[in-house]
Amino acid sequence: MADREVADVMTTSSSSSSGSATNNPLSRKLNKILETRLDSDKEMLEALKSLSTFFTSNNIRTRRNLRSDIERRSLLINEEFVDCFKVAKEQLDSICEDVQAMNECCLDMTSRLKTAKDQTHDLISQTTQLQTESQKLQMRAQVTDVFLSKFQLKQEEVQILRGTRDGSLHPGFFKALARVKQIHTDCKVLLRTNQQTAGLEIMEAMALQQESAYERLYRWTQNECRMLSGDTPDINNQLCLALESLQDRPVLFRYSLDEFGTARRTAIVRSFIDALTRGGPGGTPRPIELHSHDPLRYSGDILAWLHQSAASEKEHIQALLKHCAATSADENIHDVLSHITDGVCRPLKVRLEQVVVSEPGPVLLYKLTNLLKFYHVTIGNILLSNSSLLNTIDEMQTLCLKMFFNTLNYNAGKLLEKVELPPGDLGTTSSLSNTLQLVQDILSSHDSSVIAIDARKQDFTQILNCVIDPLIQMCSVSASRLPTVDMATYMINCLYQIQNTLALYEYTDQRLEMLNAQIDAHVDTLVSEQASFILTRTGLSHAYGIVQQHQSAQGPLSSLHGMDAVSMKAAMSKFDSYLASPDSLTMTQCSLLLSAKQRETVKRRSSELIIAAYQLIFSAIMDVQNKYAESNGIVPRTPDQVIKLLS
Amino acid sequence: MAAGPYNYSYIFKYIIIGDMGVGKSCLLHQFTEKKFMADCPHTIGVEFGTRIIEVAGQKIKLQIWDTAGQERFRAVTRSYYRGAAGALMVYDITTFIVRSTYNHLSSWLTDARNLTNPNTVIFLIGNKSDLEAQRDVTYEEAKQFADENGLMFLECSAKTGENVEEAFLDTAKKIYQNIQDGSLDLNAAESGVQHKPTTPRNTLSNDQPQSKDGCAC
Repeated sequence: MADREVADVMTTSSSSSSGSATNNPLSRKLNKILETRLDSDKEMLEALKSLSTFFTSNNIRTRRNLRSDIERRSLLINEEFVDCFKVAKEQLDSICEDVQAMNECCLDMTSRLKTAKDQTHDLISQTTQLQTESQKLQMRAQVTDVFLSKFQLKQEEVQILRGTRDGSLHPGFFKALARVKQIHTDCKVLLRTNQQTAGLEIMEAMALQQESAYERLYRWTQNECRMLSGDTPDINNQLCLALESLQDRPVLFRYSLDEFGTARRTAIVRSFIDALTRGGPGGTPRPIELHSHDPLRYSGDILAWLHQSAASEKEHIQALLKHCAATSADENIHDVLSHITDGVCRPLKVRLEQVVVSEPGPVLLYKLTNLLKFYHVTIGNILLSNSSLLNTIDEMQTLCLKMFFNTLNYNAGKLLEKVELPPGDLGTTSSLSNTLQLVQDILSSHDSSVIAIDARKQDFTQILNCVIDPLIQMCSVSASRLPTVDMATYMINCLYQIQNTLALYEYTDQRLEMLNAQIDAHVDTLVSEQASFILTRTGLSHAYGIVQQHQSAQGPLSSLHGMDAVSMKAAMSKFDSYLASPDSLTMTQCSLLLSAKQRETVKRRSSELIIAAYQLIFSAIMDVQNKYAESNGIVPRTPDQVIKLLS
Repeated sequence: MAAGPYNYSYIFKYIIIGDMGVGKSCLLHQFTEKKFMADCPHTIGVEFGTRIIEVAGQKIKLQIWDTAGQERFRAVTRSYYRGAAGALMVYDITTFIVRSTYNHLSSWLTDARNLTNPNTVIFLIGNKSDLEAQRDVTYEEAKQFADENGLMFLECSAKTGENVEEAFLDTAKKIYQNIQDGSLDLNAAESGVQHKPTTPRNTLSNDQPQSKDGCAC
């Protein structure tokens, strides 16, 4: 730079010298130089500074050479510059070459790529096509998978359903079965779409699977049920599930339940026999048959045992059918329960029959009937009324009742067959009191029995019909050979005794009424007998008869035979002595009446009759038409006086 | 496998005995239904209730026979003592019939002893403990009776439910204990206890290995 400045100065000075000709160039030059302010001209300063580096000595020679020195120096520097640039240029050239080579290369590659592209174009389009196709196929595969998983069984499920050779059931069986069922139902949806062929085929396959599965399940259930013959059947959940599933196949379900019923039936019969004959461990509780000498306890124990077993069996079935629909379960529970308890009917019947036939006497038979009736109701709460156990109990009850009435009838028959003669005191015979005691025992046993009150009425009526009628007949027969008064007394006594017994019980009103009427009839007889006895004894009976039948056409009474004043007076004096002690003419039979009240009645009513008779005779004698002289003397007492004396 | 109401490993048979009107049926109802039955009719003969309880991790089904207290049913109810594992003897703490409470209890106890197993657990229950104001039998008296006769004893109330659960459970615990120490023989029929050999699940797993063995042959 400094060199260039110097050069500039040189040119300027040279030009100024050359231009001095015009317009005083020198002065201009000078001015210019003078105007030049060296301080501020940095370039100048730099140039001068570098000049000072080589312009060391200021002499003429050097001053003369300055120009060439500077030029030389400039040349040198330029040469150096050129050298330097040469290197740079060469390098640039090589770069240029490289770039060119690269370009060529690139071009080459481009063209090659282009060719390649041209060549692969088909392939790519083909690939794309294939790709879309593959995507589509994948989608389809997915759909198919889902379809299959929805509409086909897995291999293991098929395995589970097919089961093992020994017939045991896999825990997943029911799940698999449910899937088969689900698929089968889902097929209906398929049938509604246009996939009918698939739907039908799958449906068919599933139906086959289902059938074989149900068959296997049934066989398994059957086996399981068959094994439930222990005291406490072990009803596991699998079995309950099995029955739940089998509900879809009513026939198999029914058969399985039958199998269960048969197993339980065997079990309950066995335990029943055990309880009867072997009892508990070491004999406690003792076998029921040990009490067979006590018919009531024996039968009671047997029936209680059956009641408890029936309740337990019902629980077992309920446990078995816990998953099943309530409606089908309820119905089946009763059927199966009836079947289960069917087995014990025979042993029960045999034993009860033995008890009944062993003639334990009417009271026991009646108690037994009531016990059976009670258990018929109690067990009836567990079983349905059409079950054979209840039928057996009912049958036994009927038999028992029949036997009871048979015994009663037999007793009654015996009464009539061998009629006891009335005892001398005209009281009751021993057969009567025995029979009445029996009736009392029977009727009282009803109080201690466990039957509802309603059942009593019919029973009582029938029992009374059975006993009381023959009893009365017996009394009549035994009384038939007696004279009237004895008979009346005896009958009153018998009937009174019967009445007394029956009065203690309910539902005997009608009987009591009837007995009362009969007693009244006999009392009437006795009363009239007593009255006529007194009249006869006092000699008034003849007079009384005539007075009763007297008609005015016959003429005055006193003129009739035996009615004259004298004989009337004699009779009246006899009557008077009777009035003095009325009891002296009481018939012995009347005092033999058991009931004081009846004795009193007979006395009162016979007195009334006597009074009526006396009144009639009295008024007849006092009647002037009858022409009794001194009528007052014949009948000294007025009827009122007689009434006073006799009451 | 759902532990349904039917899965249990033992069945214990109980009877409830005692005079009429002491609240036997109410106790049973309170225990099975957890409710108080205000107008309880007289029991006719026997009635029956069940409930499943748990003792020492074992599910036990109680089969409870509630007997009628009326004298006329005595002959019938006696038949139900057979094979009871537990007997709950109930009296009413508000009726003290001059010393005859003891006589009655003694006669019930005699019946129970005569008609059940020697191992039957007899539990004395004084019912109606809610009627403290009308109490006629002291706790001490009854406790003494129980101790003298080797009975378990609690006072409870079927009305409030107080101690009802305990009485039934304690009896079951005692029976279970008898089974555990071997004094109660399960194999015997009519021990009042029925045992299911294994739980259903075990039966299943027991069956299967055998079946597999069978297959391998």
